[in-house]
Amino acid sequence: MRKHLALISLSLLLFACYGCGTESNERTFDTSTLRKASIDEVEQVVEAFIMAEDSSTIEIPSGFYEFNTQLILDSKTAIRIKGAGMDQTVLSFRNLKSGGEGVKIVGNQITIEDLSIEDAPGDGIKAQHTDGITFRRINVTWTNGNKSKNGTYAIYPVQCKNVLIDECIASHSKDAGIYVGQSENIVVKNSLAFGNVAGIEIENSDNAEVFGNTARDNAGGILVFNLPGLPKSDGKGTKIYDNDIIENNHKNFAVPIGEDPNGNTVTMIPPGSGIVLLAAKEVEIYNNRILRNKTYGVAIASYQVTGFPAEAPNWSPYTTDVYVHDNQYERKSFSIPDFTREMGQLVAVHNAHGILKTQDIIYDGIWDKSINEKIESNPMRICIEESGMENLRFTRFYLMDGEENIQSFKDHELFQNCQVNVQTDISGIALLNSSVQK
Amino acid sequence: MKSPSLTLRNILMASLVSISILGACQSEKTEEQTNQSKTGQRALAPEEATGQYPYRRLSTYGFFEGEMAMLTPSEKLIPYQPASSLFTDYALKSRFVMIPDGAKAQLVDNDISLPVGSILVKNFYYPEDFKKPEGKRRVIETRLMIHEEKGWQSYPYIWNEEQTDAVLKIVGGETEVRFIDKNGKDQVINYLVPNKNQCKSCHNKNEVMAPIGIQPKHLNNDLNYNSGKENQLAHWTSLGKLEGFSGKDNHPSVINYEDQTQALDDRAMAYLDINCSHCHRAEGPASTSGLFLTFDQKDPMKLGINKTPVAAGKGSGKFKFDIVPGHGDQSILTYRMNSTEVGVAMPEIGRTTVHTEGVELIKEWINQMK
Repeated sequence: MRKHLALISLSLLLFACYGCGTESNERTFDTSTLRKASIDEVEQVVEAFIMAEDSSTIEIPSGFYEFNTQLILDSKTAIRIKGAGMDQTVLSFRNLKSGGEGVKIVGNQITIEDLSIEDAPGDGIKAQHTDGITFRRINVTWTNGNKSKNGTYAIYPVQCKNVLIDECIASHSKDAGIYVGQSENIVVKNSLAFGNVAGIEIENSDNAEVFGNTARDNAGGILVFNLPGLPKSDGKGTKIYDNDIIENNHKNFAVPIGEDPNGNTVTMIPPGSGIVLLAAKEVEIYNNRILRNKTYGVAIASYQVTGFPAEAPNWSPYTTDVYVHDNQYERKSFSIPDFTREMGQLVAVHNAHGILKTQDIIYDGIWDKSINEKIESNPMRICIEESGMENLRFTRFYLMDGEENIQSFKDHELFQNCQVNVQTDISGIALLNSSVQK
Repeated sequence: MKSPSLTLRNILMASLVSISILGACQSEKTEEQTNQSKTGQRALAPEEATGQYPYRRLSTYGFFEGEMAMLTPSEKLIPYQPASSLFTDYALKSRFVMIPDGAKAQLVDNDISLPVGSILVKNFYYPEDFKKPEGKRRVIETRLMIHEEKGWQSYPYIWNEEQTDAVLKIVGGETEVRFIDKNGKDQVINYLVPNKNQCKSCHNKNEVMAPIGIQPKHLNNDLNYNSGKENQLAHWTSLGKLEGFSGKDNHPSVINYEDQTQALDDRAMAYLDINCSHCHRAEGPASTSGLFLTFDQKDPMKLGINKTPVAAGKGSGKFKFDIVPGHGDQSILTYRMNSTEVGVAMPEIGRTTVHTEGVELIKEWINQMK
């Protein structure tokens, strides 16, 4: 695909600036006036994490804490880590000289709330192998003017069970602001993700609900991915509802501007992406406001579009069982799709509605022919029931005969008058929620 | 009997009290005192060896005889050395194990379990001149792993400038180290002592603290003892400290990656095993990545061949795959080994300089892959 599109993009060079994306350095809180904690106060926090006893609270008073070592809570149960507020307690890792993340948590029934984490060189806060992890009102961000120096994930639970992310803010991360990986039973709600490459991402995870959030000014708003070759080989069951997914037109700064995407899938996401499904299984998307994302509102894609090897044990590259309904769409006037990524170029050049037209819903139309030879049978069970469908821009691509023979269709009828039943159950998280609120 | 953690809490309380007393006496600390606090050398009262670990001072354990900095082991310590050694900013290491009287280690299913009460003693030091490694040297830190009733615990001790003792410092620290390298060049390293919980970033098997070097694959080889050269596991057996060793050929062994007479494949896998696989294995914290680097890994995808990264972020650089066969310079593995930028550099802790020889080894290995 690359050569073909490169030629076209060259001929459209004039439009390149249009197609680049915006850039945000917005700060949520001004923490510059906070009192700076002394070396001993900082060491006391490190010690409190190391020595914490089960069923206790670690309170971190107001102040700006600069750490040169990681804050690690290891194998503890029923711990609450509490700051004096997102704008009052700031844990800064700008002086960290080693370690993959600023804060690391392993244990059971852990809550962290009311504080900010800034400038970790790797990930902001990571929780691993934790059953019952609540992030509430934490703000994780980077303050570098040059965003290429920012860390990977802001809020990063991985290999966890019963994850609650509530009223958090994640901004300016080089990958996903809120990233839940290889986990099960997940709620991400009432949170804000902005200025990241990806706002919220659910990856190789089961049983997730993402609702009441705002994902704005990212390159991509909300992503559901399954990547190959991981210990948790595939994931299924995600509901995305009642979210504001707005103007996710930020530059994709996961790699330096002008560089090609690397092996991180997120580097391929074109600015102007609302929701992206990649090798996703059983996803329901409804009641969202998907507004002014310049490339597309919703993309339904299989892993083959990445061009990477698409085989792994107990994993399928196809996106299957998707139900998109009752969302509100708005296309930004005077804007054109992204030109910095192949997927953006594909939309800009090959969509079924005319060159440079923003799309509301796209489907890569890559299907498993062993199920059925004909796409008309909707073999991947993709179901789209939007009101006023005839006024939306829908494109189904045909990419299975190589880049020289890309075709596109407006045939949304093939994917209508159907229903997919997506099951999630977050009652366990509701319990978690009430037990920690006391 | 008090639990060890309670004891440690008392020590901490004591150290916090001493801080506040200091604060009360002087409104401002002198620069010297601030430096002391950085390296953890606070004035400490003498302490007795009560048997309740951890002690505040390393000397209280009585591990060493004569001048302490010479690290001459007492009789109760057995020296050991894994075939290949983890790279830690070119620091030299001396390692000892203390197994309590009357108790034995058990070798079962190619795993060694040490009895409760065992202590691993690992010293990190730099010669002033690497061309004369036996000459004047500076010991930086001693890490203890103590097998307590509730499992393994780790305790970092930082040595004082006088090189007379080391003091427990659970929050870790940093110190500048100067030496002349083996090519005669002056080197300066900002040496980082990990905090207590960072120890588990590596010493982690299914989230349980565990030794790394004490595995048959690392110790099933010869070591020079005062009594002569002997297989380490055979030596422990003859001392009456190990049960279950049934001869060198009946247990796995990893080679020394520095041994240039060995096959390149084996050297590379030995290097990856000791430097990466404590995290990058199914039981390790980096299992999230799907990249598994134990010496016996055969699955190309798990080894990283044409495997895309997962959560590597800027650690991927410009590259698509962990290993691109034939292209050591275009592989994420060598890119991360060759970086000192936090967030890019691998391993994540314990290294602030590039291990040039290690990078070359892995590049050469990838370059000859087809």
